[in-house]
Amino acid sequence: MNSTKANTPARPQQKVAPDSERRLLQIKDTRVWYTTVAGEAKVVDGVNVTINRNEVFGLAGESGCGKSTLVEGVLRLIKSPGYIKSGQALFTYPKDGNAGETTVNLFELGLGEIRPLRWQHIAYVPQGAMNSLNPVMRISDQITDAILEHGNSTKADATKNMLHRLEMVGLPPSVARMYPHELSGGMKQRVTIAAAVTLRPELLIADEPTTALDVNVQRVILQELLDIRKELNLTIVYVSHDMAVHAELADRLGIMYAGAMMEVGTTSQIFKDPLHPYTQGLIRSIPDISKERVRVEGIPGLAPSPLAWPTGCRFHPRCQFAKDVCRRVEPLLTETKPGRQVACHIYTDAWNEKSPGGTVQ
Amino acid sequence: MLKRHPIFAYYLRKLITYVFTIWGAFTITFFLFRLLPSNPVDAWVKTLERQYAVQQSSSVANTAAYYKEQFGLNGTLGEQYVRYMYQVFVKGNLGPSFVNYPDPVQTLIMKRLPWTIGLLGTSVILSWVAGIVIGLLAGWFRETRFSGAITNIAISLSQIPAYLIALLLVLVVGYGLKWLPTRGAWDAQYSIGFTLPFILSVLQHAILPATAIVIVSVAGWILTTRSLIITLLGEDYLLYAEAKGLKPWNIMRRYALRNIMLPQATGLALTLGAVMNGQLLIELLFVYPGLGDLLNLAINVYDFNTVLGVILISIVSVMTASLLIDLALPLIDPRIRTQIQST
Ligand SMILES: Nc1ncnc2c1ncn2[C@@H]1O[C@H](COP(=O)(O)OP(=O)(O)OP(=O)(O)O)[C@@H](O)[C@H]1O
Ligand code: SF4
Ligand SMILES: [Mg+2]
Repeated sequence: MNSTKANTPARPQQKVAPDSERRLLQIKDTRVWYTTVAGEAKVVDGVNVTINRNEVFGLAGESGCGKSTLVEGVLRLIKSPGYIKSGQALFTYPKDGNAGETTVNLFELGLGEIRPLRWQHIAYVPQGAMNSLNPVMRISDQITDAILEHGNSTKADATKNMLHRLEMVGLPPSVARMYPHELSGGMKQRVTIAAAVTLRPELLIADEPTTALDVNVQRVILQELLDIRKELNLTIVYVSHDMAVHAELADRLGIMYAGAMMEVGTTSQIFKDPLHPYTQGLIRSIPDISKERVRVEGIPGLAPSPLAWPTGCRFHPRCQFAKDVCRRVEPLLTETKPGRQVACHIYTDAWNEKSPGGTVQ
Repeated sequence: MLKRHPIFAYYLRKLITYVFTIWGAFTITFFLFRLLPSNPVDAWVKTLERQYAVQQSSSVANTAAYYKEQFGLNGTLGEQYVRYMYQVFVKGNLGPSFVNYPDPVQTLIMKRLPWTIGLLGTSVILSWVAGIVIGLLAGWFRETRFSGAITNIAISLSQIPAYLIALLLVLVVGYGLKWLPTRGAWDAQYSIGFTLPFILSVLQHAILPATAIVIVSVAGWILTTRSLIITLLGEDYLLYAEAKGLKPWNIMRRYALRNIMLPQATGLALTLGAVMNGQLLIELLFVYPGLGDLLNLAINVYDFNTVLGVILISIVSVMTASLLIDLALPLIDPRIRTQIQST
């Protein structure tokens, strides 16, 4: 796949103009750090991204780039020695039923204030559903306890709700009476999806919900997720390192690398015309299932350590286009056109001035 | 049948283990004591000889032989063993005691058992509950100064032997401050009965020995509960519970407490034996009329029947407690149930 600036205009443009009406979650300059003996691990280090209503936003990037940490930060689930260093997460939601919408900064809320937002407005499908269910509680209790905690539904209503959601993800009612160890991995994953939509949240954050599953189960669950999304009008942030899954599911994509957002665009933009050299590498590494046993071209080099990100552009040690400016100056995430952003010096005017003739490709 | 009902096989296995362990432990104790260089009758004769200068005579020998027969000390070791086992397990008779001849051992034990069970049961349950509650809080708020202080205190306490704490209590609270009685189980001025003064006196007498046991055993429960909770807090399902927006109090109750109950209930049964040993010393120090005190009396005069009776009671109660836990586990823990069913 050739990625050049030259063929950018040839791609069909999609209308993705960010419009404040459509904004659901706006993450600004967010940093989530961990204190370690070796210094601060800057696992998430300056992320900017906006999630729009009713979209599936795919959060992509290699393992360890900070995807989970970012969403756990938004959910306020970061535990010591981790902490939210700085930033904003502006979330817009109907606070008291239909009495209009409120925007809050999730990072500023006290834990008592964030608690009522959880599950009712922001639900979570955790990475590793295998261990997310309490081994000594029945499935039914683990779904209804959240329903009963929020609002004032009766036990009978909660049970009805629970069984309905189980049905939505294709699980028989008998599952409700079971314990987690009696379920397969795929069934547990379905349980966490069913549980997450019981209160019809505005935002569903799903962290690698299918990564541990075999391809067939993965397919079925993705389809169920899409169906649920349509039925309930959900906005989904879908976290995965698997670009093939994103291609099937996501409307828009954010590509993370080394704790920062490298590129944002619609899924078709990203796949047809990846701008960032890292994105280009990611897409090249997707195994082609139409050919058997193709050798997958990975991105050469190792992921850097959050204890000391490379200076300038974090990707420069692995980038084939890196120039002097890349080692010195950190490129900012800038808009190349509405809804399309990239953090790379190649797309700044300074690039060609400094190296006339264009070294790109 | 056995193959089709793994739970039944599991129960059967546990039951067989139970019977054999009791039998084995009891047999070992039997022979250990018979191998001692003396026995109650010989020791008694020797004492008589020393105290009253009684000469070896045929009448003394006859009397000794008579009592040896009474205590089952005649014949070979094998004969004694078979006779004794038959008498205990078939006829349900522990034989006459020597310390209080001719009362049968079971009468003596029944008189003292309530005191031991009362003191031990109350203090063990008290320290178990208190230890779990304190340990739960110390683990939950693990980064606070409260938790650090509690942990340090508990670690220090767990290093101090029980008798030292008991001695300290006796000296300081009993003799020094004279707040509480330190000897016996009730004040001799009241006769035993279901009367208020007697009950109050019993409670008053139980405070110091019970405190000694609680102080010593609570530290262990605090430390184990705290570390169980800290491990639990790292579990994905606790983070998930928080993500669901459950109130911290509900997470603590429905997730944390519930999940540590299994190991802690098992632990309670397992430590019962150790607690019994500690109880013995405590009873000695406080002259408490329980089984520990009786065992002490009996050992001093080689009263095999009483010693074996007390030990049998201890073995049976500890083993029964752990058997009950084993039998209850599959009912409480769904994982164990499945594990058993799949083997
Ligand atoms: N307590 C901690 N102290 C220091 N670093 C930590 C700590 N916890 C996590 N990290 C770092 O955070 C990074 C992992 O981030 P995260 O789990 O968000 O990545 P991810 O993109 O979700 O990866 P994956 O695809 O494997 O889920 C790792 O580099 C890890 O070293
Ligand atoms: S800024 Fe430079 S090093 Fe970084 S991705 Fe762009 S070209 Fe490569
Ligand atoms: Mg992750």
